[in-house]
Amino acid sequence: MSNEIAFLAEYAAGSPARSALELAAGAAQLASQSGGTTVALAYGPGSADAAGLGAFGAGRAVALGDQATPAITFAAAAVAAVREIEPLALLAPATPNGRDLAAALVGLLGLPAFGPVRAVRIEDGQVRSEQATLQGTVVTVSQPVDDAPRPAVVLVLPSTFTPIEGGAGAATVSAAPASEPGPFGSATVVESHPAEAAVANLEESSVIVAGGRGVGSADGFAPLNELAAALGGAVGASRAAADAGWVPYQLQIGQTGKVVKPALYVGCGISGAIQHRVGMQTAENVLAINKDPDAPIGEFADLFVVGDLFTIVPKLTAEIRRRKGT
Amino acid sequence: MRIVVCIKQVPATTAEKRYTADLRLDRAAAEAVINPLDEYAIEQALRLQEAGAVESVGFLSMGPEQAAEALRRALAMGGDDATLVTDPALAGADEWATARVLAAALDRLAPDVALMGMASDDARGSLVPGAVAALRGLPLLSYGSELRVEGAVARIRRLTATGFDIVEAPLPVVASVTDQVGEPRYASLKGIMAAKRKPMETWSLADLGLAPGDLHGAALTRVVEARKPEAKPPTERVENVSPDEAVARIVDWLAERKLI
Amino acid sequence: MTYRLTADHDELRAVVRELADEQIAPRAAEIDASAEFPWDLKELLARQDLLGTCFPTRFGGTELDDISQAILVEEIARADATTSLIPIVQKLGSLPILLAGSEEQQARYFPRLASGEWLAAFGLTEAGSGSDVASLRMRARRDGGDYLLSGSKRFITHGSIANLVTIFALTDPEAGGRTGMSAFIVETDTPGFSAPRLEHKMGIRGSPTAELHFDEVRVPAANRLGEEGDGFSIAMATLDRSRLSIAAQAVGISAGAIDFAVGYAAQRQQFGERVADLQGIQFMLADMASQNEAARQLTYAAAAAVDARAPDLAYWTSCAKLIAGDTAMRVTTDAVQVLGGYGYVSEYPVERMMRDAKITQLYEGTQQIQRLIVARQLLRRAGVARPGSPVDG
Repeated sequence: MSNEIAFLAEYAAGSPARSALELAAGAAQLASQSGGTTVALAYGPGSADAAGLGAFGAGRAVALGDQATPAITFAAAAVAAVREIEPLALLAPATPNGRDLAAALVGLLGLPAFGPVRAVRIEDGQVRSEQATLQGTVVTVSQPVDDAPRPAVVLVLPSTFTPIEGGAGAATVSAAPASEPGPFGSATVVESHPAEAAVANLEESSVIVAGGRGVGSADGFAPLNELAAALGGAVGASRAAADAGWVPYQLQIGQTGKVVKPALYVGCGISGAIQHRVGMQTAENVLAINKDPDAPIGEFADLFVVGDLFTIVPKLTAEIRRRKGT
Repeated sequence: MRIVVCIKQVPATTAEKRYTADLRLDRAAAEAVINPLDEYAIEQALRLQEAGAVESVGFLSMGPEQAAEALRRALAMGGDDATLVTDPALAGADEWATARVLAAALDRLAPDVALMGMASDDARGSLVPGAVAALRGLPLLSYGSELRVEGAVARIRRLTATGFDIVEAPLPVVASVTDQVGEPRYASLKGIMAAKRKPMETWSLADLGLAPGDLHGAALTRVVEARKPEAKPPTERVENVSPDEAVARIVDWLAERKLI
Repeated sequence: MTYRLTADHDELRAVVRELADEQIAPRAAEIDASAEFPWDLKELLARQDLLGTCFPTRFGGTELDDISQAILVEEIARADATTSLIPIVQKLGSLPILLAGSEEQQARYFPRLASGEWLAAFGLTEAGSGSDVASLRMRARRDGGDYLLSGSKRFITHGSIANLVTIFALTDPEAGGRTGMSAFIVETDTPGFSAPRLEHKMGIRGSPTAELHFDEVRVPAANRLGEEGDGFSIAMATLDRSRLSIAAQAVGISAGAIDFAVGYAAQRQQFGERVADLQGIQFMLADMASQNEAARQLTYAAAAAVDARAPDLAYWTSCAKLIAGDTAMRVTTDAVQVLGGYGYVSEYPVERMMRDAKITQLYEGTQQIQRLIVARQLLRRAGVARPGSPVDG
């Protein structure tokens, strides 16, 4: 048993995913509280170069495999690594891939699971996590029971931790202990269809301008695109807009879409129903523009402007450009 | 070809939700419904049955005795039979215990596809499908926006960051679907009446060959504190002013918060 | 008369309420504004088996008890009175066939009515005969193995969209309405039938209320219900049961108005506090709720009387319709009052509910007729009734 803090480090197309860098920072934070070190469980194409994670907070790394397969296919290797290390905690990204691999570990090793968390720390040698449950109406603080197996698996949403900048050092990389591949490998991608246009990664955007039913049509998103461009951000949507086909599904924010935590979220023509709210409620600053003075978003926005988005948004874009001199 | 859909009874979204004095979710207090994301799994299974790809659809739930209502409601939407696993030792069960119990039940039911929704409203962990697949030693097809079964394989369409993939695995599998499979149907009156006559079995832990000790007392985690979230500062409202005045206020606000 | 609400009743209520909240309530304002019949909601109700609740199971219906049927109507009316008329009138138009039709006639028409593929309507009222049913003038002249129907009907709900109308006409004009009236099933695609005009109404605007013209419409004798001369008693027996639906409709309209008024009062602030905390408003809301609860329970008791085929079921259904209709008018008027100026404008639903409520005091027997029915029963029980009441059957 150790005080090490492990984390899943996903690699894609040769580089670490942003989640890997965020979790490295998180793990480093927890390690300073537990008095241990950090260890990355790296997988995916490029993960053999996991030494680079040292600059982001990883003490060492275990390479689970570098195939371009779903994360869960590395479950057996992860299990073997975790059995060897017995870390205090394992941080996993709350993405579909991360959740699936974390789930396999929970299932196979009988581990306590937490999250998605809004905060996590080590107190008295124990993982203590804070999560908003029941759609944000209750905040609970949880910890493992007294003789629970280790590690505690903690699901972490994007932007909960900030990657360390300007760090240095290389993590020592070892290969995972030998293991049987198991049944997960029999699920294979037989077709892959990239989208026609590149779609921004909302989870990494610090400014998001989102449109809902009030936008009315695909063309209606044009002023939102302009505003996003002026602010240097990305465009997102509520489920209503995505279902209507006005934007690609990948831009949907909400319970069944992306969970985002931008510094600025601008909701245009979005009512703010709970299913959308759970996808953006941790944004630092929320501006909402809606014709309906009783829209629920008016209850939790920081600034709620009652008005016609098609009049206000273009004027806002123009004024921002003017102030920025662009 | 048989699908078993795992469903969970959860508090309704609009109901006031509480934790009990011993810091467990007070499931009895709030109005209980089928977890909305599980309704999509039910709908997907029923569509496959209507298309003739699947002969039999069953429902499985783990919960207090009251969860039988959720199973009856599922049967009212369609399907053939239901199984409830209920046991006092399962009160407060966490994700691992839930997965352990569902896996044992599914091993007994042995469907070609064990189908779930992608997350539950109240816990939001989405770990159960993966954990169940791991425990049963089966491939996982997760986050499908559509599920098909053909011959000896199951296939899902999964959205990616940039488009979509088709992922395939040989049966039997564990699968989960998202809300993109299509709007769940309402239970028709005849469906509700027929549901009363469809078979529902109740299993305890002992029926699954499990003892409470196998589950570490149902939960590996415990809640040490439950509280209302911090009150947010009140919303600043801008209304009944001209668009130009509104824009001026917005830009000042952005500047105050150093966003531009 | 006693009754018990069961878990099945609660489940039915929950299911219909969910459907009504999600699919019907959002359409209510637009149905009223456009005055267009909501065909999509009719299809939805048909698909959910909610138009077949009064038909026997052997014809594809679900044969629910009358309390269940009342709950169904109540929960739809809570969302929208116009839409609640779809199951109400399906039953009204079919009741004559249920009560007096032969097995052959029922087998011929009920499957399509139970599935909602066909809509039914009830054609009794004429321009010159409303409360005075026996004074109707439409004729049915025997012609070989058929009858030829001539005349007009007025204020026929869904008459312009129904596939089938149960029509009341004089086969023996000399004998007068009480003994010379007969009932017929008329398929509306028969030559000579037309629905040339719709009424522009105060409320239930999405429900088409039609004038029907019959120009020697040929109806086979196999479509006559019962014997010649049975028409008046068939009509009265129908209304004795159908008015229960109106009571349920009124209870539902009131419930919707009360819910909205409470919600509004809880968030409207005046004089530094919530309007809902002002005693004057609380008194109004309490009166609205307690009176509607009384109307609701009376409606269920009347439904139980119908289910039990009580000999005095007409007394019960008349009491229920009388109380529920008058309550609905009071409740919706007060709901407008609670909202103040906002209650008067179409942005808020209570003015529509008030306009919708009024009809429950008028159709299927005016409140004045209901009072005559109740009074007749009281006099009979006391052994002091005299013949000659307008509502004598």
